[in-house]
Amino acid sequence: MLKIGIPRGLLYYQYYPLWSTYFQEMGLEVVLSESTSKAIMAAGSSRMVAETCLPVKVYCGHVLDLVGKCDYIFIPAIRSIQKNVYNCSKFLGLPDLIKAVVPQCPPIIDIDIDASKGKCNLHPSTYDIGRWIKPKPKREKEAAQLAWQAHLAYLDAMRNRGVTPVEYLDAKKATTSSAEKRSLTVALIGHPYNIYDEFITHRIMHRLNALGARVVTPEMAGNEALAAGVEKVVGRPYWTYEDEIVGAGGHYLDAAIDGVVAVVSFGCGPDSTMIDVVQRYAKHPGARPLLTLVIDEHTGEAGLVTRLEAFLDMVARKARRSA
Amino acid sequence: MRITIPHIGNMYVAFRSIFNGVGVDMVVPPPTSKHTLSLGVKYSPEFVCLPFKLTLGNFIEALDLGAELLIQAGGPGLCRYGYYARDQAKILQDLGYSFEMVTTELFESRIVGVANLAKRLSNNAPFTRIASAMRLGMAKIAAMDDVERVVHQVRARETHKGMATRIYRETVQAIDDAQGHKSLKAVTKDFICRLRDVPIDTETKPLVVGIMGEFFIVLDPFSNMDVEIELGKLGVEVRRSAFVSHWLKFSLFLNAFGISEKDRIHQAALPYLKRDVGGDGWESVGEPILHRDEYDGMVHLSPFTCMPEIIAQNIMPTIKDRLPVLTIICDEQMGRAGMVTRLEAFVDLLWKKREAARRGESRQGRGFSVSLSSGGS
Repeated sequence: MLKIGIPRGLLYYQYYPLWSTYFQEMGLEVVLSESTSKAIMAAGSSRMVAETCLPVKVYCGHVLDLVGKCDYIFIPAIRSIQKNVYNCSKFLGLPDLIKAVVPQCPPIIDIDIDASKGKCNLHPSTYDIGRWIKPKPKREKEAAQLAWQAHLAYLDAMRNRGVTPVEYLDAKKATTSSAEKRSLTVALIGHPYNIYDEFITHRIMHRLNALGARVVTPEMAGNEALAAGVEKVVGRPYWTYEDEIVGAGGHYLDAAIDGVVAVVSFGCGPDSTMIDVVQRYAKHPGARPLLTLVIDEHTGEAGLVTRLEAFLDMVARKARRSA
Repeated sequence: MRITIPHIGNMYVAFRSIFNGVGVDMVVPPPTSKHTLSLGVKYSPEFVCLPFKLTLGNFIEALDLGAELLIQAGGPGLCRYGYYARDQAKILQDLGYSFEMVTTELFESRIVGVANLAKRLSNNAPFTRIASAMRLGMAKIAAMDDVERVVHQVRARETHKGMATRIYRETVQAIDDAQGHKSLKAVTKDFICRLRDVPIDTETKPLVVGIMGEFFIVLDPFSNMDVEIELGKLGVEVRRSAFVSHWLKFSLFLNAFGISEKDRIHQAALPYLKRDVGGDGWESVGEPILHRDEYDGMVHLSPFTCMPEIIAQNIMPTIKDRLPVLTIICDEQMGRAGMVTRLEAFVDLLWKKREAARRGESRQGRGFSVSLSSGGS
């Protein structure tokens, strides 16, 4: 059976149910890379120009982890999933970037996803997978339908049941949401590949839980609320994943919660300006307190924990005072 | 309404000509300086790219001179240039300035968009007047580009270093002052003659080095620390495919008919990068391949954290059979002495390579590539 490798990085957190169902339903085996580790991050970083942002370096480490374990690697080039709203260059250049820095990489399935051009969008029925995999897999159409349903079910679980991607995708790790009473609610905003990668953000979700905070994430707000958040803060969206930072910021800074923690990676082009816009929005009277954490491969765990503790102390004091 | 546009090299000459032509008062921001940069750095997000910081500094200085309407590039795209206007407007509001910000959306509506913008800004001046003002503005850019091409040749060969640069500065001033097509033509011709009269060394065949990379940095001498002048001092002839007149011609008119001047570059890049990644990333992969028989080497300019250029930088080392490349990354930490040292070393290597080729030691295969992050000076 042909094996398709999917790196556990970048868009994995958004689209893994979609893509894994699609390939499995066509009778292919899906191989997922190991969870991010120091070795994976170091392997990825060592192959790339230093300036490259952390998530892309980590992604490269995941690709290296898959080398030798699969026949193809699935790295789509996502230009847009909504008309006239484009993605960061790095998502578009990703297949060629990986091919250049990982020469031993198995053949890359580099599907173009560009909703602005009309024909090719996120729905797997537009992928034309036969161009890469020979002989053409069977049951392509049914697989595409089932995959789309899996994707919708995933979105629904996150939105309506408050499930995080980590809990949904990795049943083993579905953990700590124990019933202990948590008095504070904190929104954790940022790109899923940052906030849900337990290695690069040092299990931030668990730490917030352990410090007595219930965590809400962008997906739980739902698309409409996020779109409204973007509209409120900057107007028309510019970046494909703008809602994860600007949208979530606009939504949660005015929501009935206790505070907002934003995570961005150093050197990220879109994040550099988006987080600035959110920080400026957070200055308006009545906005929730905002903590911004900038991560890179040198982020010290102790520093991160100290800042979270200080922030939650402050938030708790504020909550007590207004109670 | 007093209008301002941030600096990119000498583009202000064209803008001033166009706006004055339709009777609009334009505030030209003070020439970009260390002060501009420090203002920009102070109020910009920490790891945004250099053009953001510089154009923000230009806006602040222009607002202090009484500008009321700011023009910034905009429109959907893959690089954050299109996002500048949104964030900069918020920063300037937070600083307490009152103004209106207009984005060009140039890439969506091309020449019609520019004309409409001019019409709006000029209190509905007749289209004929706008068209003639724009024609003069474009002619000025074309004239500056023509002179600059000659300057590149003379600079590398002149016996007294610095003469070509001095004449070029006077030319820009004279073109800025020119009132009509007739005087513009006369001025251009005159200065090209003066440049041709500069005593040159006819014996040595200078090295030819191409300049490529991010458009803003390539065209803005403050951002690239006068890399072209420094190369000229080392006796190197500079070539580049990015000229404003050329770019305007295509982005305003010809691209609408599906004609792209960059097809050849993209074709060359295709085996290594299949898609446009925004900005000038695709071109930065293609140029060292396309020009491998014409040039001796290339200097690649990129702002720190520039997304498209990072893609190019990652791909470049794997390209076979290309020119040697020196990457220079520009940000507020840049130091001229550090850059000049690296340019000297690069030029030395290129001479050795040429010498080796002349002796017939064919060193086919990969060109080397050196990278310079800003910092040490």
